Amino acid sequence: MKAKFSSYLEKLAPSLKKLIDALSSDYDYVSVLASDSKGFSIQASQKSKAITGENMTTERGCVVRVYKDGLYSEYSFNKPDVDVQAMAAKLKTILDDQIEILKRTGTEIFDTAKLEDEPIEVFTEMETDVMPEDVDLGALMKKLQSYSDKAVSLKEFMIDAPVSAKSTHVCKLFLTKNRDMRQSYVYTEGSVLAIGMKNGRNTMTVEGVSGRTGAGILDGLEEKVEIAVNAVGDMLSASPVVPGEYEIITSPEVTGLIAHEAFGHGVEMDMFVKKRALGAEYIDKRVGSDLVSMHEGANCVVDVASYAFDDEGTLAGDVTEIDHGILKTGVCDALAALRLGTKPTGNGKRENFEHKVYTRMTNTMFDSGSDSKDDMIASVKKGYYLEGMFSGMEDPKHWGIQCIVARGREIIDGKFTGKVVAPVVMTGYVPDLLGSVSMVSTDRESFGNGGCGKGHKEWVKVSDGGPYLKAVARLG
Amino acid sequence: MTDKIIEILKASSADGFEITDTVTLGYEFYFIKHKLDQNRVRDVEHINVKVYKKLDDGKMLGSASGEIYPTLSEEEIKDEIDKLIGRAENVKNPFYELNKPGDFEASKESNVDVSKIAENFVAAMKELPETDTEYINSYEIFAEKNKRRFVNSEGIDITFEYPSSMVEVVVNAKDDDHEIELYRMYKAGTCDKENLKKDISEVLKYGKDKLIAKPTPKLSKAAVVFPTSDAVQIYSWFVEKCNAGFIYSKYSDWEIGKDVAPKAKGDKVTLKSVRNLPNSSRNFDVDEEGAAIYDMTVLENNVPQTFFGGRRFRYYLDIKNSYLAYNFDVTGGSKTAEEIRSGKYLEIVEFSDFEVDSISGDIAGEIRLGYYHDGDKVTPVSGGSISGCMENFINEMYMSKEKRQYDNFNIPALTRLENVIVTGVE
Repeated sequence: MKAKFSSYLEKLAPSLKKLIDALSSDYDYVSVLASDSKGFSIQASQKSKAITGENMTTERGCVVRVYKDGLYSEYSFNKPDVDVQAMAAKLKTILDDQIEILKRTGTEIFDTAKLEDEPIEVFTEMETDVMPEDVDLGALMKKLQSYSDKAVSLKEFMIDAPVSAKSTHVCKLFLTKNRDMRQSYVYTEGSVLAIGMKNGRNTMTVEGVSGRTGAGILDGLEEKVEIAVNAVGDMLSASPVVPGEYEIITSPEVTGLIAHEAFGHGVEMDMFVKKRALGAEYIDKRVGSDLVSMHEGANCVVDVASYAFDDEGTLAGDVTEIDHGILKTGVCDALAALRLGTKPTGNGKRENFEHKVYTRMTNTMFDSGSDSKDDMIASVKKGYYLEGMFSGMEDPKHWGIQCIVARGREIIDGKFTGKVVAPVVMTGYVPDLLGSVSMVSTDRESFGNGGCGKGHKEWVKVSDGGPYLKAVARLG
Repeated sequence: MTDKIIEILKASSADGFEITDTVTLGYEFYFIKHKLDQNRVRDVEHINVKVYKKLDDGKMLGSASGEIYPTLSEEEIKDEIDKLIGRAENVKNPFYELNKPGDFEASKESNVDVSKIAENFVAAMKELPETDTEYINSYEIFAEKNKRRFVNSEGIDITFEYPSSMVEVVVNAKDDDHEIELYRMYKAGTCDKENLKKDISEVLKYGKDKLIAKPTPKLSKAAVVFPTSDAVQIYSWFVEKCNAGFIYSKYSDWEIGKDVAPKAKGDKVTLKSVRNLPNSSRNFDVDEEGAAIYDMTVLENNVPQTFFGGRRFRYYLDIKNSYLAYNFDVTGGSKTAEEIRSGKYLEIVEFSDFEVDSISGDIAGEIRLGYYHDGDKVTPVSGGSISGCMENFINEMYMSKEKRQYDNFNIPALTRLENVIVTGVE
């Protein structure tokens, strides 16, 4: 079925168009992004159950962007006044108060050109299986509870297994004098968090499913239960890794984490404007081995970050960031593009209507190669197969990378020894890490669970992934 | 709007409810160097409603929550409430009671001027001791005035106003060969200009040292000293271990009256939850479920005295006088700063991201800048990582007598952990 566009936004659109007209007498550019995204979050565990109508992407509200004298200003609100002239006056008064602060403090403006406003009309209602509004949450609660119960019954060391699901029907409306863009789609994610305890030590791991689709995808959680429980068992018996440099095989999930932290954040071009990214100096230069190619964009795969247009009214794209080891370009929001003299790539995203736009990732994927996973493992003399992702952190200025991986399975002379190390902190210099990629598998997967921050805030949905990679990395 | 929702809830089949109505006016300024990139205003109201439904003859209590948008009509609100009640019937948790009105002295009504707070931040950031080689790359200023009303079906109806602010700062330093950056995020109630300047001045100095940092040596295991806000992550682990939700779910096995590290030979931790800390962004009279907040000792010399948390888990654990805690004070340790900084140790002032996992206690972080003290020699170092587990570190950790506050945590200025795994690069 098609995800039907919000009737609330349909009704609101005419008054927002009038607001744009009213503000256009004072400002040289005016746009409005309005959102009405409904969804749910549900969790069942051994000790607790919860349902809420809120999750990371549910929202209803508007943000107006205006431009005058080289400066972009924004006003976020969620109680639109029926009196459009009063609304416009209120907006102008409060933004003028901010301009007075700038005058009193002698603040200069980072002068920026006016955005183009070429006419675009979009109306997209994407296909989905089940709308979040139509999900039988009682039945879903029973299903998630059965997964949690099964997980805990499998092994004695299990103390809990919270099983969660979230689904959002995203509806966004972007308007300017010349643009009317409307999109509606559904994304869903679910996860099994297996928590175990043995000899006074606790540990946990997560397995998940995600997609730009409805709650049907949550059936896939059932097969994740045993995988998560067995992984926790291995981690409870694991020892710390002896710090050092090793050959590694990364699972597609860990491959995605590397893609995200290394050349996701590293080529967000608003960082180029601030001169915060080393990537700006490496365009058309080698940053990885010949086997490394990477794509970024809402159109790159179909996962949780696959939309029709971004939060600035730029159509979704698919950018080749790295082509056979050569860095070709980054991704860019509309204002950063103006400042850099380039074109936006459809990567201008907000956490929600209350937040500023930054250049953000959508789907970040390594391309597949020609090796088999078995051959890759057989080629390792001494190293680890890394699987399960906890977190990562970017350092675009120095191209350092920090990836916290759930566990490593030891490989000696091409065979698994059965020894597991956990957790594993993988660090290194990005061009060294990507330069060491020597084998790439034929298959690839994307993962869209959780959220991505910029620095330590601004959480948005992204997906990342790729094939199995063989490389050399520092583990601790 | 909230009064209308209360009327609808009282007339509904809900057996209980909680409403939190928060009105926020936020001023935001984004800078590239000291030029304004963008200014923003947030002018929003969020009304969150939780409904409760008695189930199975009152043995179980269902609940469901959601946001009631301020744009909804009366009929739409009724539909949303009915939907929440239907959802609550699918969430069967053992029965517990909601908070009842309690005796507490309300703070004086504050008069928050968000425009003035924001202006103070803009002015303060222009007074930093920058040089040609150590300077500000970019910063973002967020100042908020919040007015919150909490109402529940037991008769609690409280309204209070509070400021909240945040500054994100990126600092650069450069020499003839290269440029480096360091990152900080400061949270507080309002603008504390002197502390902000003092802290950023410290970071500017770190920037200078990062330029000459050597690769971190392969130390295998070493004592690590934490002198910055990263130490909050360490004390947050103690906080989570005393969370009633963690105790009830068995993620924490700590027990009231039982030493959590009987073989500990270093300093023992005393953790207090306090109602107010100077300029904290989280100075509230009541928690988000309406329970009155007062000063209480949670952990005394490594022995839990009580647990804090939401009403539900406290009810299950029969902890009557407690609440959801927001401000924490950790008593200073036995050592002077000089004693903490003695012998061989690695003092880390900047991580890519320092994390302490609340369930496992595992710590991890890539070192962006540290100082390796090897006898009389001090070497700025960078690269590599640290790891280990708080379950082990608690047996020998040392804290300075001197304290330092980071928003809602007032903690020892220096924390030293022994035998931390250090993965070097040289």
